[in-house]
Amino acid sequence: MHAIVAIKQVPDTSNVRINPETGTLIREGVPAIINPYDAHAVELAVRLKRQFGGKVTVITMGPPKASEALVECAEQGADRGILISDRKFSAADTLATSYVLARTIEALMAEGPVDLLLFGKQAIDGDTAQVGPGVATRLGLPLISYAVGVESFDPIARTGVVHRRTERGIEVLQTTLPALLTVEKEIAAIERAPLADVIRAAQYTPEVWSASEPVAFDVAKIGIKGSPTIVGKAYTPPPKKAGAAVKVAEKGVASTVTEALAKVKAAGVVKI
Amino acid sequence: MPEKLTFDAIVVGAGPAGISAAIVMARSGLKVMLIERGRFAGSKNFFGGVLYTHALADVLPDYWERKPPFERPVTEQGYWFLSPDSVMRVMHKSQHYQKDPAESYTALRSGFDAWFAQQAVSHGALLITKTTVVDGIRDAKGRVIGVRTDRPDGDVYAPIVIVSEGVNNLLTQKLGLMKADLPPRLIALSVKEYIGLPAKEVETRFNLSGAKEGMAIDIFGDATLGLPGTAFLYTDKQGISIGVGLLLEEFVHHKLKPYEVLARFKNHPVIKPYLAGGETLEYGAHLIPEFGYDRMPDLAADGVLVAGDAAGMVDALHREGTNLAMTAGRLAGETAVEAHKRNDFSAGFLKGYRQQLESSFVLKDLKQYRRMTDFLDSTPHFMSTYVNYLNDAALRYFSAHGLPKRDMEDNIIKMLFQRRSFFGVARDMLKLLQGMRG
Repeated sequence: MHAIVAIKQVPDTSNVRINPETGTLIREGVPAIINPYDAHAVELAVRLKRQFGGKVTVITMGPPKASEALVECAEQGADRGILISDRKFSAADTLATSYVLARTIEALMAEGPVDLLLFGKQAIDGDTAQVGPGVATRLGLPLISYAVGVESFDPIARTGVVHRRTERGIEVLQTTLPALLTVEKEIAAIERAPLADVIRAAQYTPEVWSASEPVAFDVAKIGIKGSPTIVGKAYTPPPKKAGAAVKVAEKGVASTVTEALAKVKAAGVVKI
Repeated sequence: MPEKLTFDAIVVGAGPAGISAAIVMARSGLKVMLIERGRFAGSKNFFGGVLYTHALADVLPDYWERKPPFERPVTEQGYWFLSPDSVMRVMHKSQHYQKDPAESYTALRSGFDAWFAQQAVSHGALLITKTTVVDGIRDAKGRVIGVRTDRPDGDVYAPIVIVSEGVNNLLTQKLGLMKADLPPRLIALSVKEYIGLPAKEVETRFNLSGAKEGMAIDIFGDATLGLPGTAFLYTDKQGISIGVGLLLEEFVHHKLKPYEVLARFKNHPVIKPYLAGGETLEYGAHLIPEFGYDRMPDLAADGVLVAGDAAGMVDALHREGTNLAMTAGRLAGETAVEAHKRNDFSAGFLKGYRQQLESSFVLKDLKQYRRMTDFLDSTPHFMSTYVNYLNDAALRYFSAHGLPKRDMEDNIIKMLFQRRSFFGVARDMLKLLQGMRG
């Protein structure tokens, strides 16, 4: 079994502040962590490895510092970490990022068969939830987003059954392998790594892939050149005002409803 | 059955003491495991802000080339005596402080300790983070032969363990090296804010000529509501470290909340203008061991040495701690290296560590100020009485009221004895002298 997990190092948003003048994140001095959903994806991969044998590869695109995140994945039990890092990748949007990750995964698939691609459902800094689906589309692989559980996984028959959360409830889907899953936190609870794994990880240095080696990326599709997204404005929305409370017992149901309808109408929310 | 994890030495806690020990041992070729419970070295560590380079140079002679993340060299330092509406300043600025490297620097521990730990790694030590040591492992004869961590299969073995776990010395206590838990009258609680300000603003407000100048001020009196404790204000590169520390018991006894004491201090009319427009970027609190020379734990036993805050190595009067810790860590590391050469990890041999500390400034200073905490404890009025008097006397001295100077001088003397009897003053001064001379 070979699972590839794509992760992102993100600022710990419980500490993040926004520069009120520029509207951009102040990353300076903010501790970096593995995107929490991604950490659960790594955990799932490691559990499947324990059950079926095989290996787990973790890839990430980011600055040299993101190597720390790969070391943390090694602590969790990942076997190989690849940092895709080059100045040419900087300022990539989700389109450019999914291109780079898809090409990287293709290169790894050329080395040997891959059964599963795992992504967190979204990154907590951008919240777009686009990169995983983007990679699935580029690779022409089945996509199961918002996965919450793996009911069965059979690397020999190359099928799996996965539970996915939707607004209407849980969908149970059967898929062929390889498939791409974007996962929720419930997919696998993170266990504390044994000391021996932590020691091994402390001595592990992840590989670094550049924009030209070992994969030659199309420079028109990476970094700022490959990113058509324009951020018009980033801002913190003002907090919602509390709604008006009416004591129905005092006013009576009929007049409460009439008044409420009038207010909604006046606000232009509905046309009656 | 996982294989037994074995090292030549285990260091518990990646602070100044532990990192120093790890560097010394790794440099001598020992296989060292440095265990830190925080996410990274420095993530749990905290101090007011002044770091002395002499002890660092002893551990790492080429530290300057390794570019430590200092904030500013301390080129002006001294004391402010704060009354509710006034301040008397005793500051010292000298060209002698202006050198590269300087004698001391302001620093932020989250950056400094991370850098320092990286030096241990570059010397070959293995740094393990997010891992807490929960107990020691002993053999049938009671000798320490390893530690138990909170991870699955988390036992790790070494013939020597250096405990530099910091002020909350649970392992030291579990190993039976300290008989009782820490009493609140022998522990101080310090709270601090790091307030961001543009470098230019810091320099203008403190009259510094550029990034190569910095100020370190220790503040007495109203900053601590006149209670036994001190406050501080240090300049950083782009900000100010400001904090206040009191004996833990004072917070409890007077029902004070640490952040309220700090907020009150920040709003003092003398202090407030220095902070105006700044943004609080960090808030932290930390315990400071002040149990002193007479109540230190055993520093050595079979297979184990204790260094740093865990052993109470803090000279609060001179705001020194990291240099004591680095020196103790280095000596512990050197002792461990020697123990490996002789293959003797017995308490009998390891006690040489204590003797080396006794002949260094570490225990000499702690011995000299062994009665300082008692002094503060037995004269709780000291800070308010004398600091306020100092300011009131100065006001009288510098104001011309059309009085003959002799009357003014009499007035100033009378003012003192109205506040404290002649014998009271004599007793306070004697106690201060005892506190200072040991």
